[in-house]
Amino acid sequence: MSYIKEYRVALPEFRISDKTLHPRLGRKGQHAVCYTDQDIITLAFDACQNFTKDVDAVFFATTTPVFRNRYHASYIADLLGLEQGILAMDFGTSVRAGSDALLMADKLIKSGEYKNILVIASEVYYPEIGKETRAAFGHAAVVMLITDEEGIAEITNTKSYSSALAEDFRYKGEKVQYDARFARNEGFKMNLGLVLKESNINSSDVNQIILHSPYAKNAFGQLKKAGFDIEKQLMKDTVAMSVGNTGACHGLFLLINAIENGQGNIFLFDYLNGTNVIELTNNTIIEFPPIKEGTQIEAYQDYLQLRKQGKFTARGYESIEMFSSEMISEREKDGLVYLRGYECVKCGTIYYMKAARCNACHQTEFNQKQLEKTGIVYTATSEYYFPNSFAPTNMVVIDLDGGGRITVQQTDDMFPTEENIIKIGDKVELVFRKMMENDKKPNYFWKCIKR
Amino acid sequence: MHKTMSKKRNIAIIGLGVTKFGELFNQSYDDLVRDAANQAVKDAEIELDDVGGAWLSTAFPEIGVFKGRSGMDLVEPLNLYGIPVTRVSNFCASGADSIRNAANSLAAGECDVAMALGVEKLRDRSPQDSIVKMMVELSHPYYQKGFTAAGTFAVYAKRIMHEYGLTREDIANISVKNHYHGSLNEKAHHRMTCSTDQVLGSPMVADPLTVMDSCPTTDGAACVIMVRAEDVDKTKHNPIFIDGVGLSVSTGWDLPFFDPKHDFLSFQATKDAAAMAYKQAGITNPIDEIDLVEVHDCFSIVELLTYEDLGFCKQGEAKDMIRGKATQLGGEIPVNVSGGLLSCGHPVGATGVRMVVEIANHLRGEAGERQVKGAKRGISHNIGGPGAIASVIVLNNEN
Repeated sequence: MSYIKEYRVALPEFRISDKTLHPRLGRKGQHAVCYTDQDIITLAFDACQNFTKDVDAVFFATTTPVFRNRYHASYIADLLGLEQGILAMDFGTSVRAGSDALLMADKLIKSGEYKNILVIASEVYYPEIGKETRAAFGHAAVVMLITDEEGIAEITNTKSYSSALAEDFRYKGEKVQYDARFARNEGFKMNLGLVLKESNINSSDVNQIILHSPYAKNAFGQLKKAGFDIEKQLMKDTVAMSVGNTGACHGLFLLINAIENGQGNIFLFDYLNGTNVIELTNNTIIEFPPIKEGTQIEAYQDYLQLRKQGKFTARGYESIEMFSSEMISEREKDGLVYLRGYECVKCGTIYYMKAARCNACHQTEFNQKQLEKTGIVYTATSEYYFPNSFAPTNMVVIDLDGGGRITVQQTDDMFPTEENIIKIGDKVELVFRKMMENDKKPNYFWKCIKR
Repeated sequence: MHKTMSKKRNIAIIGLGVTKFGELFNQSYDDLVRDAANQAVKDAEIELDDVGGAWLSTAFPEIGVFKGRSGMDLVEPLNLYGIPVTRVSNFCASGADSIRNAANSLAAGECDVAMALGVEKLRDRSPQDSIVKMMVELSHPYYQKGFTAAGTFAVYAKRIMHEYGLTREDIANISVKNHYHGSLNEKAHHRMTCSTDQVLGSPMVADPLTVMDSCPTTDGAACVIMVRAEDVDKTKHNPIFIDGVGLSVSTGWDLPFFDPKHDFLSFQATKDAAAMAYKQAGITNPIDEIDLVEVHDCFSIVELLTYEDLGFCKQGEAKDMIRGKATQLGGEIPVNVSGGLLSCGHPVGATGVRMVVEIANHLRGEAGERQVKGAKRGISHNIGGPGAIASVIVLNNEN
């Protein structure tokens, strides 16, 4: 038996509406978009907090990799502090990568070889500038913990049916090849027809059916032929309207939606280059807060600035490039990633940075101490001349709850107002973000947001 | 046994030289070295070849013109070969540290005539190529990323305003005072006066500090010639004596921002350096025993909190000194009569030496329009790193 034990969705703070992207078309959708310091890694890291106990495998799905030849699953497993040597694999290049990972997790759990598999899907896709009308997009990360212990929903069956046809696809660079009419009109229809025939699904056993394909409508006929009632059984994709199509996350995101909609049997058909069929039985009722509305980006110019993705651009610093070093990132990981500080054995003063002697009592022995991710602002300033995507850069000196002090940037602060710029005495929370990126590597570290 | 020097070194400054400070597009690093050195040598009425040891202070060769990496860059423009020359680098205290090293060498008998020269050539690069870029491109990839120099002092201003009721106007009025002083100094980078509203209304750099709360980036050089007090030739020289020299590194570059005990209300380095210098000079009540002061006002807030760190008033009371105009020319203890860094500018390696030249000019009675009348004893102060390293030098017109 295998179960979805827990799950979580991480969304960025900002939304841009179809109205802002293409005002004359009258569309009413929203797209969740990352802040300049977010990417698939930081969104996934955010989603995975508190999901790390006893994990023995990590699967990572995305079509928007940060690295070209490095497993994101291994990278995120390391950031989460999971044991070295666990099973870690990436799934990618098709938007059904998320359900690919879920399918593989299900098979491995059922084989008995693995007990707790973290399935992560994270997607930060931007269409070509000016072509936003032609490609659905929304940024998100979804994580599911798949176990052999009873959880929220049982995965009763998983299957995958290959097909060579692709819908719109990218070949070289970012340009999308839109001339895929045959696949669009026939591909999903043919593939779904095969799936329905092979899998012997009895339509009366199904409470909710989910089709994840941009051209799902073309396959309604197949569903009707198999006895489904489109109006009653087909789940409406409200996620696409509120945060956009989240690519490799979307199949899993819709599954979560279905679980929250109510009890019963759920079928996901997740399509591209074939169809994954995921069958769930949900026996629990989940109390789930509605998807956060987020902060609206009203100006197209701000959206363009966001897309520069952490390159320092403001104030004439076009050529500036931050120093990065894989050696420093690795050597200082204890503090930089895991927030492990040092507590003086004698006087109890807690330091973020390692020191030879306690600055307060000059004693030399320290115990390692896990620092908290919440705290109170001791002092802060807004830097107007630091080269960053949005000025000012707010720098915040934080006394952490439970001891220790750290100084970090405020983030998600593209619209500075009296109210949202962090001040002395404010309660803040640390979030894991990109300091910036250069042509060599992204540098991930902590920043803060107001609690 | 003393942990640090506790008595006077008996050193005299006999030659003073300082270039015009500003955007000196027509002068190179080497030109500035020659200008300052020649003035000081002439003032001391010695020959260049009499110099037996020299200390060169340049803080940032890599964001200047890549000169000042070693003492060699002092001797090459002067053609002064065959003596020991050392480059001194200690952030904003570099200039003062070159004087400290020269004084120690004289006291130890290593040489009989010493030169301390500070020079910085920052304006051959565009502003975007300078200190801010260095903070991004060269420093630790994670710690303090987002700060400029202004921000690392702005967080002190914010906390002090929060704790002690210091106002934005109090901070701005430091700049108003120093710009008035600077208008009297023909060698200052900026020579205009300004109002409180102008300071408050200038572009924000790091809240609450504006452009006019910040010193400009400047080219300049300054030089002093020093001898042992016993070697002063009273027929030629107008000597100024070093009563005390203190220098302390009291925290680190990153530590204040990660140390839960750091209060952002004062600079321990200034307190430690002042304690050393005052002890050597026998000063117990600084406000009564000192006639004028040059303070490291790289940003206006730094001058304010240094009043407290140098012991001119109790903690939290600096605002009363600026409100009462105690530190203005003609006040109880004039501070930065030169115009300070805010007017003169801050060629980092040169600043500490320029301050000593300024004090010495007053103690000689040769400071012209801005002369502090009857000045007998003055101190210069630098802080850098930011706030980690401080120097205090006490000067006297009698030994």
